[in-house]
Amino acid sequence: MFDLSINAFFMQLLTGLQIGSIYVLIALGLTLIFGTLGVVNFAHGALYLVAIYLAVSISDAFGFGLALVLVPAILFVLGLAMERGLIQYFYNRPHTDQILVTFGLAIVIQELLKWIFGANNVPFAIPQWGNGIIMMHEWFPFLEGFVVYPKWRMILVVVSIVTVAAVFALLHLTTFGLVIRAGMRDPEMLKFLGVNINRRFMIVFGLGAMIAGIAGVFGGPVTQVSPEVGMHLLVPSFLVVVIGGMGSLGGAVLAGILIGMAQSFTAHDINLSTIIVYLITVIVLLVRPRGLLGAKGVFE
Amino acid sequence: MSDSNVFFSCRDLNSYYGESYVVQGVSFEVSEGEIVAFLGRNGAGKSSTLRSIARADEPALTSGEIWLDGQALHEMQPYEAARNGIQLVCEDRRIIPGVTVEENLILAQIAEPKGWTKEQVYELFPRLAERRKQEASSLSGGEQQMLAIARALSRDIKLLLLDEPYEGLAPVIVQEIERMLQKVKEQGITTIIVEQNAMAALKLADKAIIIDTGEIVFNGSAQEVMDNQALREEYLAV
Repeated sequence: MFDLSINAFFMQLLTGLQIGSIYVLIALGLTLIFGTLGVVNFAHGALYLVAIYLAVSISDAFGFGLALVLVPAILFVLGLAMERGLIQYFYNRPHTDQILVTFGLAIVIQELLKWIFGANNVPFAIPQWGNGIIMMHEWFPFLEGFVVYPKWRMILVVVSIVTVAAVFALLHLTTFGLVIRAGMRDPEMLKFLGVNINRRFMIVFGLGAMIAGIAGVFGGPVTQVSPEVGMHLLVPSFLVVVIGGMGSLGGAVLAGILIGMAQSFTAHDINLSTIIVYLITVIVLLVRPRGLLGAKGVFE
Repeated sequence: MSDSNVFFSCRDLNSYYGESYVVQGVSFEVSEGEIVAFLGRNGAGKSSTLRSIARADEPALTSGEIWLDGQALHEMQPYEAARNGIQLVCEDRRIIPGVTVEENLILAQIAEPKGWTKEQVYELFPRLAERRKQEASSLSGGEQQMLAIARALSRDIKLLLLDEPYEGLAPVIVQEIERMLQKVKEQGITTIIVEQNAMAALKLADKAIIIDTGEIVFNGSAQEVMDNQALREEYLAV
């Protein structure tokens, strides 16, 4: 089990990073929405599902470039509509109500997509520029012999890093970000200072959905395009948020990578690979109930 | 309709925390530039009245009218009330944690209309200037109170609501905050102070209102309360 060559170790590291990238992208939106609005959005996986179906449809009809621009934009608008049309009525309701209604919405979306596109996997063609392999041994001289990795999966990792960096820059380098960070800590005080914080939180919900859109465009070819993908990714992504600490963006990134790595390094044993996410969740919550980087008192 | 001669008025305010009836038909008026000490025992409804005036979501204002300079605050959201000149300095200061002293001041200047600039605040409160890059929640209690008041002054205020500005502070710090509030008074800002330390609030105030179990039981000059020990003993237990 532990007798790994440097090449095998490196490949599993990359695979862990790639699996973690998708979790990070989905968990980032989930935790952003929880941290600002206090809403546990179980429909977030369904937003990813909508994104991959939109991406494959637009990409097939008009090319990947347009899908890249349109899907995140459509998801942003969809997020705003979802927040105004449904979620805002559940702000002051218990988390169980929020989970039930968003879970219900997720099932409706899933069944709707199944009805439109069928239950089978829809092939998602990678654009020409993303096809092929990367000669990893040329970049990393310590690797022995001939080591390659699919180019698209590396692109997914890069997109994830860029998205995380953009979200952190937005939150830490802009006035909008300052208001959001402050609003996460004390929304009422922001209102007393004349800030319409609810409107900004609505935008954050849209941004969370937009990140799911970005994840869909780049993740679709990797996770495949079938109606079960949303639910399949939702549970580990939600656990990533819990492990990282509800509402903590840094925590979501750290936990996403951790879970990705854990799944990659246990991939040789399908049983272990399946339970590892839950095992890590139990251990982290026993040792640190608020999650790795969670704020004191939040969901503790 | 508002009475155009009255700068600020509350009429028959009724507010609830859930089932709990905390503000019971409170009515009073304040003239422009006046400082009012809003007094009463613990749990009398003082903070709840201030929060109702600031249009906080809780306690929920179920009926009554609040007029400030001709504007109907009772029809507004809390952020709209703040944009129309209400500033509440909360009981527990409510310094935003996780951001710096300066960022707390910037947050007060996101929405129009703005009040003092950061430079003006730092000139009046040099201690805040020294700590401008420090995480705000790491300040001492007195400094946090100073920041809370400075943050309120960073907005264009018509009515300043101060909820227990001296609470939990050492006597030497209380004196410092008193000096600071004296400077605020010199600016001519209309102010309502809620304070357990009645004598400290009365020293600063022109007028006093005493509230007991959600209802107003005295409305007169601050001097009258200072001179009337029986009144103080009955309603303020001092």
